[in-house]
Amino acid sequence: MIAEGKIYFKYLRMHLLSGMEYKGWWLMLIQVLIVVVSDPIATVLLFSRFGNIGEWTVAHIILVYSLAVASFGLAESLCRGFDYFPWHLLRSGDFDRLLLRPRSLFVQVAASRFHLHRLVRPVTGICAAGWALGELGIPLTPGRLGILAMALAGGCLMYCGVFVLTSGLAFFTIKGLDWIYLLTNASYQITRCPEPYMPRALKSVFSFVLPMLFISFYPAATVCGWKYPQWLGFLSLPAGAVFLGLSLLVWRIGVRHYKSTGS
Amino acid sequence: MNFRNTCRACSSLFRIRMAEGLQYRVSAISGTVVGVFWALLECVLFTVFYTYSENGSWNNNGLSLPQTISYVWLAQGLFVLQSMSIDSEIMGKINNGDVGIELCRPMNLYTHWFVKSSAGKLGTSWIRSLATVLAGLLMPVGYALGGPASLTALFCFILSVVMAFVLCSAFAMLVTAIRLNITWGDGPTYMLLLVSGILSGTYLPLRLWPDFMQTFLYLQPFGGFADIPVQLYIGSMAPTAALPGIGLQLIWSLLFIAAGRLIMKRKLNSIIVQGG
Repeated sequence: MIAEGKIYFKYLRMHLLSGMEYKGWWLMLIQVLIVVVSDPIATVLLFSRFGNIGEWTVAHIILVYSLAVASFGLAESLCRGFDYFPWHLLRSGDFDRLLLRPRSLFVQVAASRFHLHRLVRPVTGICAAGWALGELGIPLTPGRLGILAMALAGGCLMYCGVFVLTSGLAFFTIKGLDWIYLLTNASYQITRCPEPYMPRALKSVFSFVLPMLFISFYPAATVCGWKYPQWLGFLSLPAGAVFLGLSLLVWRIGVRHYKSTGS
Repeated sequence: MNFRNTCRACSSLFRIRMAEGLQYRVSAISGTVVGVFWALLECVLFTVFYTYSENGSWNNNGLSLPQTISYVWLAQGLFVLQSMSIDSEIMGKINNGDVGIELCRPMNLYTHWFVKSSAGKLGTSWIRSLATVLAGLLMPVGYALGGPASLTALFCFILSVVMAFVLCSAFAMLVTAIRLNITWGDGPTYMLLLVSGILSGTYLPLRLWPDFMQTFLYLQPFGGFADIPVQLYIGSMAPTAALPGIGLQLIWSLLFIAAGRLIMKRKLNSIIVQGG
């Protein structure tokens, strides 16, 4: 276990150094910053055009949204390899080489890519959550911090699950994985819609199929004391873990099913 | 190499890339699913804002809810023309040094790649566009794509869409030309593509942006990707405004092509082929 951890960080260090060989590597940081800042800009502009929705203000939306984005960013930084897996390892046939090595397959794939600039997303997400909490006048107590940290961890697990699931399914489809975009970048857009106004169908899909609401909305509701059962806010970690577990199962089956592609 | 041969080479390149794209039908289907899902999400969001917000009923932005929903569907349909990244085949060539081989061909590299990338863009995407728009037409009332404002509007829309395709291709090539300078990595090109995406109106209809930005939003090049055609369709831009709008698209396309050619020529003079 410790050895695997060491390898994981060695990989990350290697990718970091090789990425910095490009003269414009720091531009990538700005680039992701622009992505992160521009993503919610549509929502902010809408609020400035239309005004508040009932008691929902920009701060409410940003809080829920930033929790989702930050956990997505965390997973993206730590599990980037799985995100790239279908394209860069599977279709080119490079995956065969990994199979030959006497090390954990999971670690090798997860660390097969790392981009420093991906960390911009969680960092800005956490800052935005802090801003929103300040705006809403919620003081940070250790208990609340704990809930938020759990939400982030649970979200990170869930999104890692999404990436692993993509890779697992890629064994069967090889190409045509655009729909996975629904589970990654499109999924956190759902948090832009105020939960009480969300259509029931969307609500149930994003709490039971992909536990989106459990890692963003319910923790936020518990922290801020919106009128929802308190215990829902504590479900983020188990929900994320269950999702990751199921994805790992698919991945296992995929690896067993694997026939080499490429040359 | 004379003009006629170039044309023939271009048309066969175009056909090859189109056929190649058509092979990945599953990819087109999954693309459509994403587009439809995304559009529905936006529709829900706009409906919430128009119905429940403080200023929702007080309509000061020149777009009604049905118009906005039509906008969302059409923008999703046109979205496929915009490139989110450089054509993967060309990108591969830049990265592994095959540019050297490409330079040996008796054809202008810019023209060659222009045709290739635009054909690659069109390959599957027209199916995806049509399917998305069709799905929009078939949606239940309230989330459905409405008809065009008038017959003239429809005609202007089609004309403008063709122009948008040229404009998008020209811009993609400009970005590719910039990316030829490999030592800088992907940062600058991604930023350009990102900014173009945001300003094209597919994130949020440009009419809903703050009022003081409207003139700028109209004159900047990226509105031509989606905003101008869609506004012509839904009628928030009158058919009389079609000619200036399409003219604007044309001017920007020519500018992009000229700039792309210039940059590429300069880069090729001092290119260091990477890899082997």
